[in-house]
Amino acid sequence: MVLSKSKFSRRQVVAGLGGLAVYAAAQPAWSQAASGKPIKIGQALALTGPFAQTGLVHKIVSEYYVARLNKNGGLLGRPVEFTLYDDQSKPDVSRTLYEKLLTSDNVDLILAPYSTAPILAAMGVAQRYNKVFIQNTMGVPALATYKWHFSALVSGPEPSVSLPNKIIDAFNSTGNGPKTIAVVTSKFPSAEDMAKGMRTEAGKRGLKEVAFLEYETGTLDYGPVAARVKEADPDYMFVGCLGVEGNQLLEALSKIGYKPKRHFYLYPSPLLAAYGPADSATSLTNFEDVEPFTSSAEGTEFAKAFAVAAEAAKLPYPHVDSQAGNEYTGWQILVAAVNATKSIDDAKLADWLDKNSVDTIAGRRNFKGINHTSETDLQEIRQVQNGRWVSVFPKETATPGAKLIAP
Amino acid sequence: MSVKASPGMGAALLAVVALAAVPATNIPPYYLAFLYLIFFWIAMATSWNILSGYAGYWSFGHAAFFGTGVYTSATLATKFGVPFLLTLPVAACVAALLGSAIGFVVFRLQRLRGELFALITISMTFVVATIISNTPIDGGSGVYLISVPLPEAFGSQNGTIYLLGLFMATLTIGTAWWVFRSKMGLGLFAIHDDEDVAEVKGVPTFRYKIAAFALSSGIAGAAGGVYSIYVSYVTVGETFEVTVIMYPVVMSIFGGSRHWLGPAFGAVIVTTALYGFAAGPQASLVRGGVALGLIVVVLLLPDGVMPSLQRWWRILLPGLAPRQVLPELLVPTPRATGAVLAQIAPPLLQCRDVTKTFGGVRALKGITLDVRPGEILGLVGPNGSGKSTLINVITGHFQLNAGSVTFDGTSIEGMPAHRVARLGIARSYQIPRPFNRLTVLGNVALAASFGGGVGEAEAERLASYWLTYTGLAKKAFDYPVQLNLHERKFLELARGLAARPRILLLDEVLSGLNNTEIDEALGLMRDIRDRGTTIIFVEHLMRAVVALSDRVAVLNNGALIAVGTPEETMRNPEVVSVYLGKAHAS
Repeated sequence: MVLSKSKFSRRQVVAGLGGLAVYAAAQPAWSQAASGKPIKIGQALALTGPFAQTGLVHKIVSEYYVARLNKNGGLLGRPVEFTLYDDQSKPDVSRTLYEKLLTSDNVDLILAPYSTAPILAAMGVAQRYNKVFIQNTMGVPALATYKWHFSALVSGPEPSVSLPNKIIDAFNSTGNGPKTIAVVTSKFPSAEDMAKGMRTEAGKRGLKEVAFLEYETGTLDYGPVAARVKEADPDYMFVGCLGVEGNQLLEALSKIGYKPKRHFYLYPSPLLAAYGPADSATSLTNFEDVEPFTSSAEGTEFAKAFAVAAEAAKLPYPHVDSQAGNEYTGWQILVAAVNATKSIDDAKLADWLDKNSVDTIAGRRNFKGINHTSETDLQEIRQVQNGRWVSVFPKETATPGAKLIAP
Repeated sequence: MSVKASPGMGAALLAVVALAAVPATNIPPYYLAFLYLIFFWIAMATSWNILSGYAGYWSFGHAAFFGTGVYTSATLATKFGVPFLLTLPVAACVAALLGSAIGFVVFRLQRLRGELFALITISMTFVVATIISNTPIDGGSGVYLISVPLPEAFGSQNGTIYLLGLFMATLTIGTAWWVFRSKMGLGLFAIHDDEDVAEVKGVPTFRYKIAAFALSSGIAGAAGGVYSIYVSYVTVGETFEVTVIMYPVVMSIFGGSRHWLGPAFGAVIVTTALYGFAAGPQASLVRGGVALGLIVVVLLLPDGVMPSLQRWWRILLPGLAPRQVLPELLVPTPRATGAVLAQIAPPLLQCRDVTKTFGGVRALKGITLDVRPGEILGLVGPNGSGKSTLINVITGHFQLNAGSVTFDGTSIEGMPAHRVARLGIARSYQIPRPFNRLTVLGNVALAASFGGGVGEAEAERLASYWLTYTGLAKKAFDYPVQLNLHERKFLELARGLAARPRILLLDEVLSGLNNTEIDEALGLMRDIRDRGTTIIFVEHLMRAVVALSDRVAVLNNGALIAVGTPEETMRNPEVVSVYLGKAHAS
């Protein structure tokens, strides 16, 4: 039986959602109140199980977005009724719940769950019922072959090639690039896929691999991995992690007195930034609670709202970050298509998304790449500096005043 | 085993037909998906139980066979374009072969029982997962089956998956029922209670365990194949995760691992709780409730819910419960008829230079001894002299290191104990070792069935006869723990006799009995001999040895120091010196 390792208490989550509701209610009503038959939107997220920490961030965002939507006149003038289930971080549960959403709850629209395996399991259901499927956290775009799949990410068609090169470029931009690399990865499909790419591209770029270490997803004992990393003492440590695995590895490294020189975490929980030993840790991002991401009015409003909710819920990292931004972006894409077509017909939505782009808080999104991904990898490199995530690469879009810290 | 139609079977058939018609209704497909998950876990839990519940070999390797099936179907369908339905029997065969291969190695080693077997099977899960993860079978990225075509039943793939699940659940429950009711099932239950005794009573333990493991793993493999198309994206992490290992165990314990329907019952309850209430904040609460329920069941109903329901049914509705009536007696036909002139007949059993060592200890030092047909041979000697070891060697429980044992002209050294038993050599144990979870009747019928080589009905009638003969008829439907020592000793005797032995080896059958009970036992033993059965009996009670034995053999320090009539032996100075302390006749 999978045991939940959530560090958020129910009270914290309720308090956070309450805070969001209060915030949303306090905003001025810009349009007429929604009326008529509700539009039903359904989603399942990892609220328990190994990915619960990150799943809860997505939940907060989804419920905030729906509250905001209804406050602002709903969708097509109709109220939005949101149904959310817990997929327990498991693909078979995810698949069953999307079947429930579509055939028992009869929702009109769906949004994808969190993480690759539940997404792909749910995508099969969406395909059977011809539903538009917008996801924002899947790391292997090549597998998303469903014709009405749309990615809210800007990872490009082949992130396992583009991202490793971007990371190396970022470190090299300091004038003191790494010579050796250790690749540590969870045995999670998207993480393994990316780790494989990192090894290949690092080899091509002349980095010497001094360690390649795998661990089971959800493991709690990182001691042996940490010991091997310390022994290898790489210039750069790539960690193919999900959720709090990055925190756990860093904790194990701290216990043996080792601080990585350069370290990158693939899909960490936002709270990595709040963990002391994570200082100078890098990751990828599409949205943070800093400029330039918060330059739009909606981005600023969302960042503030999320901070209120996070404070109320006593989240260790009370700021919006890439995970939250991605979820918000997914909602924006869906709503943009509905508003543009004035329809909830999936064929019309898919057709419109296929041909158009959407302006989101994280920038413009189009779906011209393979399997309706972005044409190029526009993800940025972020770094933990003074307990906050800031964007550091490319320099053109970096947070003002921030630059990549590396030895 | 003959299968007769019964109202229960009719009801079960109707239920299956009704369930098969569900996809034809307008029921939302979600419910088909949910019911499929119940069917899936029924197949998983019930198949696990065929080996682990029936035979007591707790396997934590079910995920290995399930995963083998998952990846066999996924690989064949996605990489080789094999029609999906055709991949399912292949998945079952590959998983069954894997299970059989593991069993072939593991079941040969007696020390690999209990927790060691559990450890080996859980290791197998990790080995299989590692192989799949690090080869092109998966390679770490998972296998996506979304484009695999699947015939549509009642107009949808959901209908097909539902029917496949229903078929697997029905097949698995049917298999579990068939095994439960078969001779093999009886043998597996005996293995669960005391494997060594089961083997000596004629149960082909190795073969049965392999067969149960193959059935168990093959069904898990087929269930895995269906699951791969259900979830449509398979990964090593999810396929071999701890829930796949633990849920079948939990469900079987909850429902009752000793009952063929127990795991299915547990699967319905646990799956409904875990998947039916997966939404929202109550999910954790329900999962906690399931865990608490399991603790309560283990504490209050250690045999699980189904056996407890059966018991309550018998108590509350005794009129509807099956009547417990002793089967009609069947007078046995002995393999040897009448007493034989022991002095002139050739030996029935010949031990030549029999040597048995345990590490550096020589327990038997070249014993040479003939046992004549129709005689009663007393085997005496101080504690540790090798008497029980000699019995264990003759019955095949111990393999000898040197020498030979011949029974009626057939060499039996190295022969598995169950085959020795079937030749007509039976034994009792000094400390009774009944199968505690079989009734008294079941204990004796098992010996008649396996050792005596008769069918189920005949075995029960023979058991009735021998229970009546030994005065245990009134206890036929009790369990061994309800018997006193005297009755347990006589149960040992009845089990030995039920196998229609040509030689019966009795190991201190009189110890712990009072004088009246001893006289009763001696009378029985004479009668048994008079019916044509040769007897070797190990005994310390010299009054009984002298009164009963035609000849007496004396062992000391693993060597035979004297053999002859009781009078001759008791006067042998060496026997007097090492064993009696003074001349018996004095």
